[in-house]
Amino acid sequence: MTSQATETTERHPSNGDAKIAVRHLWKIFGGNADSVLGTENQSMDRDAIRERTGCTVAVRDVSFDVAPGEVFVVMGLSGSGKSTLVRCLTRLIEPTSGKVVLDGADIGQADPQELRELRRHKIAMVFQHFGLLPNRKIIDNVAYGLEVRGMSRADRYARAREMIDMVGLSGSENSRPGQLSGGMQQRVGLARALAVRPEVLLFDEPFSALDPLIRRDMQNEVCRLQRELDVTAVFITHDLSEALKLGDRIAIMRDGELIQVGTPEELVGRPADDYVRDFVSDVSRTDVLTVSWLMRAPAGDEPLDGPVTAPTTVVRDVVPQLARGTAPVRVVDGDRLLGVVGRTDVLRVIAEDQSEGDSGSAASGAGASTEG
Amino acid sequence: MSTAFGAAPTIRADGPPTWLTSRWTQALLVLAALLAGFAVLRGEHAFPALPEPFQIGPFFDRVYDWVVANRNTSPLFLYGFNYLSVGLGSAVILVNQVLTLLTWPGVTVLGTFTAWRVAGPRTAALVLAAFAVFGLTGLWSEAMTTLALIITSVLLALLIGIPLGILAGRNEGFDAAIRPVLNFLQIMPAFAYLMPMLLLFGIGNPAAAVATTVYAFPPAVRITALAIRNVDKGAVEATTSLGSTSWQLLTKVQLPLARRTIMLGVNQTIMLAVSMVVIASVIGAGGLGDAIYQALNKVNVGQAFEAGLAIVLMAIALDRVTAAAGNREYASGGSPVPRLAMTAAAVLAAVAASVLARLAGVADWPREWTLSAAGPINAFNDAVQDLFGDATAAVGEFLLGWVLDPLRTLLTDSPWWLVLLAAAALGLVLGGWRTALVAGLSLLGTGLLGVWGLSMDTLSQVLVAALVTVALGVVVGVLAARGDTFSRILRPILDAMQTLPPFVYLIPAVALFGIGRVPALAAAVVFALPPVIRLVEDGIRGVPPESVEATTSLGSTSWQLLTKVRLPLARSSILLAVNQGIMMVLAMVVIGALVGAGALGYGVVFGLAQNQLGLGLTSGLAIVCLGVLLDRLTQSAARRTG
Repeated sequence: MTSQATETTERHPSNGDAKIAVRHLWKIFGGNADSVLGTENQSMDRDAIRERTGCTVAVRDVSFDVAPGEVFVVMGLSGSGKSTLVRCLTRLIEPTSGKVVLDGADIGQADPQELRELRRHKIAMVFQHFGLLPNRKIIDNVAYGLEVRGMSRADRYARAREMIDMVGLSGSENSRPGQLSGGMQQRVGLARALAVRPEVLLFDEPFSALDPLIRRDMQNEVCRLQRELDVTAVFITHDLSEALKLGDRIAIMRDGELIQVGTPEELVGRPADDYVRDFVSDVSRTDVLTVSWLMRAPAGDEPLDGPVTAPTTVVRDVVPQLARGTAPVRVVDGDRLLGVVGRTDVLRVIAEDQSEGDSGSAASGAGASTEG
Repeated sequence: MSTAFGAAPTIRADGPPTWLTSRWTQALLVLAALLAGFAVLRGEHAFPALPEPFQIGPFFDRVYDWVVANRNTSPLFLYGFNYLSVGLGSAVILVNQVLTLLTWPGVTVLGTFTAWRVAGPRTAALVLAAFAVFGLTGLWSEAMTTLALIITSVLLALLIGIPLGILAGRNEGFDAAIRPVLNFLQIMPAFAYLMPMLLLFGIGNPAAAVATTVYAFPPAVRITALAIRNVDKGAVEATTSLGSTSWQLLTKVQLPLARRTIMLGVNQTIMLAVSMVVIASVIGAGGLGDAIYQALNKVNVGQAFEAGLAIVLMAIALDRVTAAAGNREYASGGSPVPRLAMTAAAVLAAVAASVLARLAGVADWPREWTLSAAGPINAFNDAVQDLFGDATAAVGEFLLGWVLDPLRTLLTDSPWWLVLLAAAALGLVLGGWRTALVAGLSLLGTGLLGVWGLSMDTLSQVLVAALVTVALGVVVGVLAARGDTFSRILRPILDAMQTLPPFVYLIPAVALFGIGRVPALAAAVVFALPPVIRLVEDGIRGVPPESVEATTSLGSTSWQLLTKVRLPLARSSILLAVNQGIMMVLAMVVIGALVGAGALGYGVVFGLAQNQLGLGLTSGLAIVCLGVLLDRLTQSAARRTG
């Protein structure tokens, strides 16, 4: 398409075995999307486009891949288009242009019947406001997806009970949603999504409506279930700590565009622009960056008898080891020495945490990247 | 044409408001001009008659003659309306036969049991009392005729209305297409429906059933559409994301979640049907409405009261049962098996009761069990007449001689163009040029229809009734807003008044004022009062407590508080109340004609009764014109201050 689009493709090279691949996805609300796409309007900013054409660009030329079993977090402020993006994945909102490929098949090409089958079997979604049916008992809510598939009552109840147990709601089968707290209702929403044994779970800000303690419980629950069931997840949130906690990779979205896609470390350690930097400025780097991010080849005169640690250890955890002796910590993978992290390296990160707002990006100069 | 100082009397504008720019002053000036014109040109310039080919009344008469001549030959009737007519007639008869077959004990058992299951013991007692009144007054079979007509038309209305509503709720385009049709149907006065039905179906139950159905189905469509549209978007999205088909979405999500609101629509449909069925007695629907109609014709207040009580109880019972059906919580739904058993038990009990009644030989309500209250009521009425007769007569004469007659003379004897210009000028002052145009055109419409004189007569009555209604309504509304106890007492009374069919209001009016324009005015006032009181009370209660607190702290007396804070801040509600009051009064025009109000209402009733389609339709359309005029004027007045 356009030069901008090509550039995006290069940034996110197509991965043959991606579970979900999104390519050049656009969603434009308003009558005449044609007056935006493929014209010079396309490259203008959102407000200018709205002024000129009356259209609102919600998702703008978004491309990314989600690997099987990965938790992919899309994070942005309200109005950034993240909820629209996740709805475009299953065409709850019809994308204006672009492709969404699931297991190699283009969802955009699916006819209504195929799309329904896809929703019934492969992709399930958890919503911010739960979307439960207040007139149905919990068990009938959980069994809804199975019911519309045409599964027999006995079978779907058996499966629904299993799911209710799994999310820790045993005993509430015959309650109605109105009788449960918000956290419990979201567990019902989760059980309903899991009941269809989906390969992909989509979460649209599922915990924003819950209070902080319950939110933490639910985050742990999702971590556990995702590991146990080995599903691929796309998780929408506006909460950075939630994104850092759950995401294998995080995409930062602003005004409909993806600004940066990367691991938590990459976002914190090497923000793509001031917007992202501002976003992650409150995050304690020592909690997010791992030693593999800081490690470097040992200098000639350095002692190599320091303590060893795995590459996934976060910086905070090597501080006590460094405090005990002067030798740098050795980062090892089994028997192989990957690199070392010394006192000055760690101190530099701590110093960055303390001098927030200081725009110096010292971290990016600190040693070799371990990407790939 | 500045109206910027419209709010000047209450809120200090920058400069002192010059009296000329206040639009109330301007409105008074318009009236003064009308009076001056009247004084000079009295009795001249009556609305000119149109040349024969353009007269609308005679055209309708020709249509009527054609229909009468071709009713038994034209394929339109032979294969269309006549079949429909026979089918509807049979449906009403069938329902009536089922009710007869069940006998009165069976119907009573079934009705009371249903009310108990759906709405609890209190409503069941109410239903039982209603049935008892039907029997004791000797009006059982009339009540069943009315009930059969209501059941048939409501079923028909729901059968049409709910699917249309579902379509409109799910499809924006269809909604946009059907909305103007519904709007049109809802501003037509009830009587206007009777005319074409009479033409197509002849006199009797089929015409009544169709008229009632057409009158009652719009709220079913509207409320169903609203209910479907208001279903939680999240639930719809979530179930869509699980792969529901469109049909599954409708049956498993949208309809169950919209059920309560849809029941509200069912309730509205039933209440409209009740009031229409009574009115339809004018075109030969039998039953309780006919009983009231006959009794009023004979000025037999006692008999009218009995039939009125029966219809009132029927209306309230139907209202309470259907309202309760809508209010039931999801949780108390219970499993379907006991519910089925309950239904079976109820039907069995009803059948058993009817068999027993037949065995005991009391299948019809025994004559000796009736307890006519007509005699005592008439005696009581006479006593009241003796006691207050002079007073009410004096009030009546005062109204007639000093208010109604002068206003009528003013409107009918002024040159027609002067009245028209005055209406347009009022529109200009209150709303703007658009309102002025509509006001002028709608008045011109009454003239073109050939009923200028009758329209002016009706307009004078409507204006007086509206004035009295608004004055009373504001006083009572203010009292209700300021006294919680008074409000608590008033509320159930207003509830009951709003469930009554308008017909019923004629009875006490006739009892007090006899026959003529004054009782019609009294009935219209009483009919229109409840919504006015409600709106005024709500408006005053809606005044922000901070404003009241602030002005109290500045040392206002409670009178100052009312006139300087509460009433001005409740202004838009009060103007809406004026609008509603006028529209309700207008709805009573035709009904008032049944007790001698004359004018346009009489044209409609006479046209219906004597098969004079021309007179009836032109009068009906003229009422619509007056409705548009008054609605626009009052609405724009409300909007300008809002």
